[in-house]
Amino acid sequence: MKPRRVPRKKSNPLLGVGYIDYKDTDLLRKFISDRGKIRSRRVTGVTVQQQRQVARAIKNAREMALLPYSSRAR
Amino acid sequence: MRRYEMMVILDPSLDERTVQPSLDQFLTVVRNDGGSVEKVDVWGRRRLSYDIAKKSEGIYAVVDLSAEPATVKELDRQLNLNEGILRTKVIRPELH
Repeated sequence: MKPRRVPRKKSNPLLGVGYIDYKDTDLLRKFISDRGKIRSRRVTGVTVQQQRQVARAIKNAREMALLPYSSRAR
Repeated sequence: MRRYEMMVILDPSLDERTVQPSLDQFLTVVRNDGGSVEKVDVWGRRRLSYDIAKKSEGIYAVVDLSAEPATVKELDRQLNLNEGILRTKVIRPELH
Protein backbone atom coordinates (compact mmCIF):
# COMPACT_ATOMS: atom_id res chain seq x y z
CA MET A 1 0.00 0.00 0.00
CA LYS A 2 1.20 3.44 -0.87
CA PRO A 3 1.91 5.67 2.10
CA ARG A 4 -0.78 8.30 2.55
CA ARG A 5 0.43 11.84 2.14
CA VAL A 6 -0.28 13.82 5.25
CA PRO A 7 -1.44 17.28 4.20
CA ARG A 8 0.54 19.94 5.95
CA LYS A 9 -1.43 22.78 7.44
CA LYS A 10 -0.44 25.96 5.70
CA SER A 11 0.16 29.06 7.75
CA ASN A 12 -2.47 31.71 7.18
CA PRO A 13 -0.94 34.41 4.98
CA LEU A 14 -3.46 36.99 6.12
CA LEU A 15 -2.55 37.06 9.80
CA GLY A 16 -2.60 40.61 11.04
CA VAL A 17 -4.52 41.93 8.04
CA GLY A 18 -7.87 43.31 9.14
CA TYR A 19 -9.71 44.85 6.21
CA ILE A 20 -8.73 43.48 2.82
CA ASP A 21 -8.43 46.55 0.65
CA TYR A 22 -8.88 46.38 -3.13
CA LYS A 23 -6.27 49.15 -3.45
CA ASP A 24 -3.56 46.99 -1.84
CA THR A 25 -2.39 45.32 -5.04
CA ASP A 26 0.84 44.00 -3.53
CA LEU A 27 -1.17 41.95 -1.05
CA LEU A 28 -3.73 40.83 -3.63
CA ARG A 29 -1.05 39.72 -6.07
CA LYS A 30 -0.19 36.92 -3.67
CA PHE A 31 -3.66 35.51 -4.33
CA ILE A 32 -3.58 35.41 -8.12
CA SER A 33 -1.64 33.15 -10.44
CA ASP A 34 0.72 34.43 -13.14
CA ARG A 35 -2.23 34.14 -15.54
CA GLY A 36 -4.20 36.50 -13.32
CA LYS A 37 -6.62 33.89 -11.99
CA ILE A 38 -7.72 33.88 -8.37
CA ARG A 39 -5.97 31.11 -6.44
CA SER A 40 -8.19 28.59 -4.70
CA ARG A 41 -8.50 28.30 -0.95
CA ARG A 42 -6.70 24.97 -1.10
CA VAL A 43 -3.68 26.83 -2.35
CA THR A 44 -3.93 30.05 -0.36
CA GLY A 45 -4.80 28.47 3.00
CA VAL A 46 -7.02 31.30 4.23
CA THR A 47 -10.40 30.93 5.93
CA VAL A 48 -13.66 30.79 3.98
CA GLN A 49 -14.60 34.32 5.03
CA GLN A 50 -11.21 35.70 4.10
CA GLN A 51 -11.25 33.94 0.72
CA ARG A 52 -14.55 35.68 -0.06
CA GLN A 53 -13.14 39.05 0.97
CA VAL A 54 -10.02 38.44 -1.12
CA ALA A 55 -12.09 37.42 -4.14
CA ARG A 56 -14.26 40.50 -3.87
CA ALA A 57 -11.24 42.77 -3.44
CA ILE A 58 -9.57 41.24 -6.51
CA LYS A 59 -12.72 41.72 -8.59
CA ASN A 60 -12.99 45.35 -7.48
CA ALA A 61 -9.33 45.89 -8.29
CA ARG A 62 -9.84 44.36 -11.73
CA GLU A 63 -12.66 46.76 -12.48
CA MET A 64 -10.32 49.66 -11.76
CA ALA A 65 -7.52 48.17 -13.91
CA LEU A 66 -5.30 47.66 -10.87
CA LEU A 67 -5.12 43.93 -11.57
CA PRO A 68 -5.50 42.10 -14.89
CA TYR A 69 -8.57 40.07 -15.80
CA SER A 70 -6.25 37.62 -17.46
CA SER A 71 -2.71 38.09 -18.56
CA ARG A 72 -2.24 36.76 -22.05
CA ALA A 73 -4.62 34.27 -23.59
CA ARG A 74 -2.99 31.02 -24.57
CA MET B 1 -25.01 60.48 6.21
CA ARG B 2 -22.67 57.71 5.11
CA ARG B 3 -19.00 57.34 4.54
CA TYR B 4 -17.83 56.62 1.03
CA GLU B 5 -14.62 56.04 -0.75
CA MET B 6 -14.49 56.98 -4.39
CA MET B 7 -11.76 56.06 -6.83
CA VAL B 8 -11.47 57.96 -10.09
CA ILE B 9 -9.32 57.24 -13.13
CA LEU B 10 -8.66 60.34 -15.19
CA ASP B 11 -7.40 60.79 -18.72
CA PRO B 12 -3.57 60.61 -18.77
CA SER B 13 -3.32 63.52 -21.22
CA LEU B 14 -4.49 65.90 -18.48
CA ASP B 15 -1.93 67.87 -16.55
CA GLU B 16 -1.47 66.26 -13.15
CA ARG B 17 -1.47 69.65 -11.45
CA THR B 18 -4.98 70.42 -12.73
CA VAL B 19 -6.41 67.19 -11.30
CA GLN B 20 -6.79 68.40 -7.73
CA PRO B 21 -8.63 71.64 -8.62
CA SER B 22 -10.91 69.97 -11.15
CA LEU B 23 -11.82 67.21 -8.68
CA ASP B 24 -12.48 69.90 -6.10
CA GLN B 25 -14.93 71.49 -8.49
CA PHE B 26 -16.82 68.22 -8.80
CA LEU B 27 -16.82 67.82 -5.04
CA THR B 28 -18.60 71.12 -4.45
CA VAL B 29 -21.84 69.20 -4.98
CA VAL B 30 -21.01 67.21 -1.84
CA ARG B 31 -20.25 70.30 0.22
CA ASN B 32 -23.38 72.09 -0.97
CA ASP B 33 -25.58 69.19 0.12
CA GLY B 34 -24.19 69.16 3.63
CA GLY B 35 -21.60 66.45 3.14
CA SER B 36 -17.91 66.69 3.83
CA VAL B 37 -14.79 65.71 1.94
CA GLU B 38 -12.24 64.18 4.29
CA LYS B 39 -9.35 63.46 1.98
CA VAL B 40 -8.38 63.77 -1.67
CA ASP B 41 -5.42 61.57 -2.51
CA VAL B 42 -4.03 61.94 -6.03
CA TRP B 43 -1.86 58.89 -6.75
CA GLY B 44 -0.66 60.29 -10.05
CA ARG B 45 0.00 58.50 -13.31
CA ARG B 46 -0.12 54.72 -13.20
CA ARG B 47 -0.07 51.98 -15.78
CA LEU B 48 -3.44 50.33 -16.36
CA SER B 49 -3.59 46.53 -16.28
CA TYR B 50 -5.54 46.67 -19.52
CA ASP B 51 -6.46 49.45 -21.91
CA ILE B 52 -9.46 51.63 -21.10
CA ALA B 53 -10.75 53.74 -23.99
CA LYS B 54 -7.55 52.91 -25.91
CA LYS B 55 -5.38 54.37 -23.16
CA SER B 56 -2.74 52.36 -21.36
CA GLU B 57 -2.18 54.82 -18.52
CA GLY B 58 -4.39 56.75 -16.16
CA ILE B 59 -4.23 59.29 -13.36
CA TYR B 60 -5.63 57.74 -10.19
CA ALA B 61 -7.27 59.64 -7.38
CA VAL B 62 -9.00 58.41 -4.23
CA VAL B 63 -11.49 60.59 -2.35
CA ASP B 64 -12.80 59.87 1.14
CA LEU B 65 -16.08 61.62 1.85
CA SER B 66 -19.28 61.45 3.83
CA ALA B 67 -22.56 62.37 2.25
CA GLU B 68 -26.13 61.31 1.65
CA PRO B 69 -26.63 58.44 -0.80
CA ALA B 70 -28.42 60.67 -3.31
CA THR B 71 -25.55 63.18 -3.28
CA VAL B 72 -23.00 60.51 -4.09
CA LYS B 73 -25.18 59.19 -6.87
CA GLU B 74 -25.34 62.68 -8.37
CA LEU B 75 -21.56 63.12 -8.01
CA ASP B 76 -20.95 59.81 -9.75
CA ARG B 77 -23.33 60.78 -12.56
CA GLN B 78 -21.60 64.11 -13.12
CA LEU B 79 -18.15 62.51 -13.11
CA ASN B 80 -19.18 59.97 -15.70
CA LEU B 81 -20.51 62.69 -17.98
CA ASN B 82 -17.06 64.23 -18.14
CA GLU B 83 -14.85 63.16 -21.04
CA GLY B 84 -11.67 63.45 -19.01
CA ILE B 85 -12.77 60.73 -16.62
CA LEU B 86 -12.19 57.16 -17.69
CA ARG B 87 -13.75 55.29 -14.78
CA THR B 88 -15.11 55.72 -11.28
CA LYS B 89 -15.85 53.40 -8.39
CA VAL B 90 -17.76 54.16 -5.21
CA ILE B 91 -17.30 51.88 -2.22
CA ARG B 92 -18.55 51.91 1.36
CA PRO B 93 -15.57 50.68 3.35
CA GLU B 94 -17.72 49.67 6.33
CA LEU B 95 -19.47 46.97 4.33
CA HIS B 96 -16.24 45.27 3.27
